[in-house]
Formats: sequence, C-alpha cells, structure tokens
Amino acid sequence: MTTARRHARIGRIGLYTLLVWICLFFSIPLLVVISTSLKTSDEVRTFSIFTLPTAPSIAAWIKAWSSACTGLNCGGVRVGFWNSVRILVPSVAISVLAGAITGYALSHWRIRGANMIMLLLLICAFIPYQVILYPLVKTFSTIGIYSSLPCIIAVHVIFGLPVMSLLFRNFYVGLPEELVKAARIDGAGFWRIFVFVMLPMSVNILIVATILQTTGIWNDYLLGLIFAGRDNMPMTVQLNAIATTSTGIIEYNVNTAAALLTALPPLLIYFLSGRYFVRGITAGAVKG
Amino acid sequence: MPARLQGETAARSPAPRALASVAAPRAGRAYRTRSLAAKIALIPTILVMVGCYYASVTWTVYISMTRSFLLPVYRFAGIAQYERLFATPRWQVAYGNMFLFGALDIIGTLCLGVLLAVLLDRAVRFEGIFRTLLLYPLSISFIVTGLTWQWVLSPTIGVQQFVRGLGWEGFVFDWITQPDRAIYTLVFAGIWHQSGLIMAIMLAGLRGVDREIWRAARVEGIPTWRTYISIVLPMLRPLIVTCVVLIAIAVVKSYDLVVAMTNGGPGFSSDLPGKFVVDFEFERANIGQASAAATVMLGSVVAIISPYLYFELARKNR
Amino acid sequence: MSAVVVSGLSKSFGPLRVLKDIHLPIETGEFTVLLGPSGCGKSTLLNAIAGLEDTDTGIVEIDGVDVTHHEPSKRGIAMVFQSYALYPTMSVRKNLSFGLRVRAVPRQEVARRVDWAAKLLQIDELLDRKPSQLSGGQRQRVAIGRALVQQAKVFLFDEPLSNLDAKLRTEMRVELKRLHRDLGTTIIYVTHDQIEAMTLATRIAVMRAGRIEQYAAPDELYEAPETLFVASFVGSPAMNFLRGRLTTGAVQVGSAEVPLNGYRFRSPPAAGQEVVIGIRPEHLVLARDEPGEPTFDAETLFMEPMGADTLGWFQFGEHRLSARLIPQVARGLSGRVRLSLNADHLSLFDPSSEARL
Repeated sequence: MTTARRHARIGRIGLYTLLVWICLFFSIPLLVVISTSLKTSDEVRTFSIFTLPTAPSIAAWIKAWSSACTGLNCGGVRVGFWNSVRILVPSVAISVLAGAITGYALSHWRIRGANMIMLLLLICAFIPYQVILYPLVKTFSTIGIYSSLPCIIAVHVIFGLPVMSLLFRNFYVGLPEELVKAARIDGAGFWRIFVFVMLPMSVNILIVATILQTTGIWNDYLLGLIFAGRDNMPMTVQLNAIATTSTGIIEYNVNTAAALLTALPPLLIYFLSGRYFVRGITAGAVKG
Repeated sequence: MPARLQGETAARSPAPRALASVAAPRAGRAYRTRSLAAKIALIPTILVMVGCYYASVTWTVYISMTRSFLLPVYRFAGIAQYERLFATPRWQVAYGNMFLFGALDIIGTLCLGVLLAVLLDRAVRFEGIFRTLLLYPLSISFIVTGLTWQWVLSPTIGVQQFVRGLGWEGFVFDWITQPDRAIYTLVFAGIWHQSGLIMAIMLAGLRGVDREIWRAARVEGIPTWRTYISIVLPMLRPLIVTCVVLIAIAVVKSYDLVVAMTNGGPGFSSDLPGKFVVDFEFERANIGQASAAATVMLGSVVAIISPYLYFELARKNR
Repeated sequence: MSAVVVSGLSKSFGPLRVLKDIHLPIETGEFTVLLGPSGCGKSTLLNAIAGLEDTDTGIVEIDGVDVTHHEPSKRGIAMVFQSYALYPTMSVRKNLSFGLRVRAVPRQEVARRVDWAAKLLQIDELLDRKPSQLSGGQRQRVAIGRALVQQAKVFLFDEPLSNLDAKLRTEMRVELKRLHRDLGTTIIYVTHDQIEAMTLATRIAVMRAGRIEQYAAPDELYEAPETLFVASFVGSPAMNFLRGRLTTGAVQVGSAEVPLNGYRFRSPPAAGQEVVIGIRPEHLVLARDEPGEPTFDAETLFMEPMGADTLGWFQFGEHRLSARLIPQVARGLSGRVRLSLNADHLSLFDPSSEARL
C-alpha cells in the first residue's frame, strides 16, 4: 500500500464520520416526532420533545386516528386518510395514463410543432399554482363542480399533466424507432401500438411515474384545501387543522402521531421503492 | 435514457419483423392517416395546456390590470394595482422575504447537497443506507416538514427547552417567535427537505465524469479536494445551474411550508408571496391585489427560467 | 532518463489472475511497447508501473528507487491516456500548467516549460482554446504536452492513438518517433496494434493472459518468435503454420520433406517428434522445380491484391497457406499449383508447449 493510501484510509474514516453526523441531523426530526407520539399526555406537558418516553404507548396514535379534533369535527385523521385515498387513486391513474399517451404521441409520431408543444409544456411545469388558482376556481364553479371530488381530481390531473408528459416523452424517445416502424408496417395503428408495444416496455417508467404522482398528490395541501370541498378534505389538511387548533392544552403527542400517520404512506413507498423513487425525483426534477 | 433500461425491456418486446418491400407504398399512405390518431390523442392535452394554463395566466394578468376588488371588474387600471401592492407593508415584507429566504435556501441546499454528493462519491460502502437516510425528507409533505420543524424549533418544547433541561438555564433559541428572525427558521426546514434532491442529482452527475480525468489528476499530483473544486465541479456547472433553478422555483411557489411552520407569523413577518396570493384571494377576497401579486410571482419565475432555458437550448443546439 | 525495472509483479482481481510474475527490465531511453490482445493485462501492467493500481507481489523500480509503495505523483512519471483526459473547463494553457502550479513550481518556470512544450508539439497557437474546440489530433498533442511539462523520468502511454482515424494515426506515429528521437526519454507504450508496436519500439513485450511471452527488439520478434502466439500475433500478413514430423535433418510435412539447413535447436530434438513449422508469406514461393526442393501440391483459393504485391491463398491438405506473389504472376494462377518454401527462414515450435524448438 502506498503511503498516500494509508493517509487516504484515515481520511476515509473522517468521511464516514461526517456522513454519519449529517445523517443524524437528517434523522433527528423524524426520531423526535416518533418519540413524542409515543408519550403520554403528562410527559408531553413537561418535557421537551427531545427526551425519550418513559412509558411508550400508542394511545396518542389511536386518538389521532379516530378522535382528534379539527376545528369542525372530532373524527381524527381517519376521515382525511380515506379522503386522500379517494382523491389519490383516480388522480394518479388518470394523470399517469394521460401523460403516457401524450408522451407517446410526442415521441414516435411526426407531429409538426411537437418541439414547440414540449417547450410550452415545460413552461407550464414551472408556472406556480397561485397564478392560475382564481381562473380555475371561477371556471369550476361556473361549470358547477367546484369544491367536490371530481373537481380536485381534475385539478390534480391538470397540474400533473406537464411533468408526466415530459417524463414519458423523454423515456419514449429513448426506445428504438424501429419497433414502432415495424409495427406500423404490419398494420398496427396509434392505439394498438400503444397498448401492445409501448405499454409492455414501459413498466419501469410507469412505476416511476406512479411513485412521483402518488407522493405529490398525497402530500398536496393547497389544492386539496381549495378544490376538494369540505367533505373531501385530504389528510394533510386535516393534519394542519388538528395541529393548529389551539383550544386549551396542545396535545403534542396526538399532533405528532397525526403527522406520522399522514407521512407514513409516501414514506413506506419511499423505503420500498428505493431506486425508482430516486429515478422519479431526478427525472421529474430535470424536466426536459 | 439509461441503456440498461432499454436492454431490460427489449427482451420482452416483440422481435421486429422483416420489412416487406411490398408494404412500402401502403405504409406511406397509412402513416399519414395514423398520425391523425396521434394528433387527436394530443388534443385533450393541448386544450388543457392552452385553456387551463395559458388562458388562465392571461386572465390573471388581465385582472391585475383592472380595478377589481371583491369581484373582477373589467375596467382597465394600468399598474394601479401594482402601485397599491408595493405600498402594502405586508407585501413588502413577503416580497423581501422571498429573496432572503430564497438566497439562503439556495446557498444552503446547494452547499449541503454538493457536499453530500461528493462524500457519497468518495464513500464506497453503505452508499445505499446513507442515500436512504438522506433522501427520505423528500417523500414527506411540506405540511409535515413544517410542523416537525415548528416543533423542533419551538422555544417551549424544542431545542431551547431541551438545552435548558440539560442545565444551561439561560439558553435562548426562539427565532421562530421573533418577527425579525422567523423567516430564517424556514431556511432550516427548506434545506432539510431538499438537500437530498440536490445530492441525488449531483451524485448522478459526478458518476458521469470520465474516470480517466481522475487518473490524470492523480498522476499529476493534484489532491482530491482540489480535483473536485477545480476540475470536476466546474464540469458540472450546467447541472448546478439546473439545481439552482429548481430550488428557486420551489421558493417562489412556497405555500405549504409557511402555513405549517409559522403561518406567516408572528404577524406577517415570515410571510411569502405564495401565501400572500392565496390569503388575499380567499380570505381577504381582494382579487385585484391577489392577481397583481400572482403576476409578480409569475414574473419572478419567468425571470429565473428565461436565461436558463435560453442557455439550455443554446447548449443543446451546439 | 532512467531505467525501469519490474520484478516478480503479480496482480489478481478477486479470483482472476491478471498479471502473473512479470519481469521487465527496461533500459534508459528505450521505447518499450507492451503489445497484446485485449485482456492480456498490458493496461493493468502499465497502471501498476504508474502506481494507479496496487500489486499483490513484486517490485517496481524507477531510476534505481523502489517506488512500489509510492503514489503516482511521487514516482517521476507522466502519463498520456487513451481518451486524452484533458480538463474540459480549462484552456489548453491552463491544462498544461495546472499540475505544475498545484505543485508550487514557480510561475516563470511554468511559463517556460509550457512555451517549450507548445512549440515542440506545434500547439502554440491553440493555447487559449478549450479542449472542446480542438480536433482529436490536437487534443492528443495537448495530452502529450501535459506529460512533457512534467519533465518526468518515464513517460507512460495508454493506447493513445486508438481514438484517432487511420490517417491521423500514421501522422502521430511519426510525431511520436520524432519526439522520442529528439528527447531521448524512456517511454512505455501500450497498444494492441502490432504495426504501431513494430514501427515505434526499441523493444516489444508481447503479452498474453497476464504473462510476457517474449521481450525483444522488433526484428528478433519477427524473425525468431519464441512462441506460437508471438509468431502468429506479430507480422502482417500473419505467419503460416504447417504440422509435420521430425526426421533426421528434415521435417516431414505430408509428402514433402523440408530440409533443416542448419536450424539452431534450443535443445537436441527427438526423432519422430511432432512439430509445427512457421513460415512467413514472403518465404513461401512457387516451386521452381529444382532438385531437393520441398514441394507442396496445393489448390488455389483466391488472390488478395495489396498493391505492391498480391497475397495468394492456397489450400494444402488441412492447411490454408498464404504467399506473397508478384501481381503479374498471381494473375495467371488458378487450380493446382506447386508451392515451395525458403528453408532458411522457418521457425519450429512444439505443438503442445507452443515454445520454439
């Protein structure tokens, strides 16, 4: 081993130490929240959130799930959970599919202005929600579906379309042209090729897209708040309502439990999907 | 797209069949017809794009130039709304906060993200574990992030309380309740949430650097840290610019984080334009001011991405 | 200028033994080429000499100093890489000077060396350009320049010409030969192209599967190859091989008897031993019907015109043979022909050990 290699080994230990410290910084908020959620009400009142529970119990969790109070009702985040699910499933399905079809149409079919359309989509992806909120609200209430489940689903599809289209388009241009050409010459049309050629090859990107959309839609707050309607408030809205209702003593154990329950689905997806998640955020981030 | 992905899925695709030369003239006519189906398939997307995005943007901008208050009144008023907007103390604070928060968030997230990417590039073992631990904040909603950091930084139950409990009675860390400091607390949460993203992007970039450049630098006796600073990171300049753009856009859009963490408070000292617009649109019901503020937000975004897009296109065309 | 001595070098990547007990004594000022097919370990050997790879056993000495445990930058070497590895964001001038500046070489000295190298390689007009603005050949020169300014004792080249097109490659070969002649530095050069090796080297180390099969000057490799592999690898068009059996003073190949006119055997041969005759295409001729001449009845396959001569291909029993012929003669050939060979230039090999007899 060269002398410098020996020095490098020491540097290596320092490197790993630094990484461990940074990982601690990243983990502590989560650990603290978990530990607080396991405390009893008395403990929460007196100690900081950094102390460990002496008698961990999941009572706070149960309360958060089924009986915590927002300003309006005391049904816990359970209500929000099912609302979020009802919003999530159709929104993800439609936006991923729409993005796939759009991306496919823009990649393997010679459409005049395809590049222009992509540029316009890219710009759409950057436009902040706040700029088009009011017109959307006005439009939906004119149609009559404002503040309802179909409304929020439509809104999620609208806001997901640019990123999804770009994601799929960038994926599909990476597939060999010959596949589509050969299928065309065999007589297959646009839709046939999509279902029988493109989709089977898209499993990886579909997973990535689904993860991206699921995380984004589940974690959404603003759109749900405005468009979902009082009966369909997603979990994030419920959570914020519970945590900021300051009637009397603040039950931090219940609030942290509620926060964890809200964060759990996307966290689980994250831990289970690893590489797909990374692919999703880097692809979704480096749009175009 | 990664070549490996193509390789994996190619095995499942039908083998391309031989091209029949007889079919060629038929294919020519069929090709044009079939691309009609493609055009039709694109119509919903184009409708959404034009109708929901561009038309809405135009509408908002137009409203911002009218005398609207509770409801849109289509009487042109030039830049009157903007004058009123910038005279509003709350907007002045929110707008200024955007730059303050933005600058610190960008610098902090970028530095930490690049540092982490470099560390992971060097680290051979446990990369998977480290990456998992560093990226998870990205999967968490901004609401949960905001609430979590609100609790951690709270003087009553958070850091201050903890340190005092350890014995240091006089320790003070109550930024989140101080009007002139509250905005800085958002920076903690922002960096915590997004560093992982920057790390992932920059790590991918570092991995793409030709290993022979590393060897050449080593033979020349250039130390590792110097190689990163003078050779490798400058090579990734376009990627760094992309990262800056992404963080900047997220700062402009910020709503959930502010709401959960400080709700703009104390007072409106930690307000941000994203929250200002929504509050004025729905709580204060002042469409005119809200639209003006939203247009300023849009202007900020345009100002950020225009040079970026221009340089990206120029680079790709070279 | 110094000698490089490699002794007993071995390296494994896990279970794979990449270098097996390499001994390579290189004299000062020599142009040594490591030649071999892909996977033979030549690049690994170069990297080991450079210090970019650790070794399991063995010693590397440069200029009499044991550098086996030294970092590359402390060995007194400079290296030119296959993909040039220029620093993309720096100008040519900065590329040349960066390494020196990092090592705290005084500014004036740096400038002097950069100007000298630039003039020598004729890149002085390109000093302010970035690598992306240069052609392949220009980039190669800058890479060489970067090595030159180091004023190293030994220069290492890792297949530097393989990314260039054919014409550029021949030009750069001449350049490299000129540089070596003018500067007289010790050079170790890796390539899989045997023409490059033959034209540039003072001595070539032919490698296969982690071992050096022969380390000798090009002429010797050509005329007296030590193993079947070296014989088949060096020389283009490739050597012909015929299987035969030793009799007293001759080799029996089919019906022909090839006389061994004073062939120098390494050790006394056994009568009746199976051998492989190696004969180069230029020493395979059309039979002239002289007495005592070994003749082979062969079937003409096809002709390959190569310009100055034509390579004729013939089938002799189970052997396919090639012979250099005068184009006019080759044109008239077809069907059965009678071939002979120049028995002064043959090589004999043991079929099982593949070693020269």
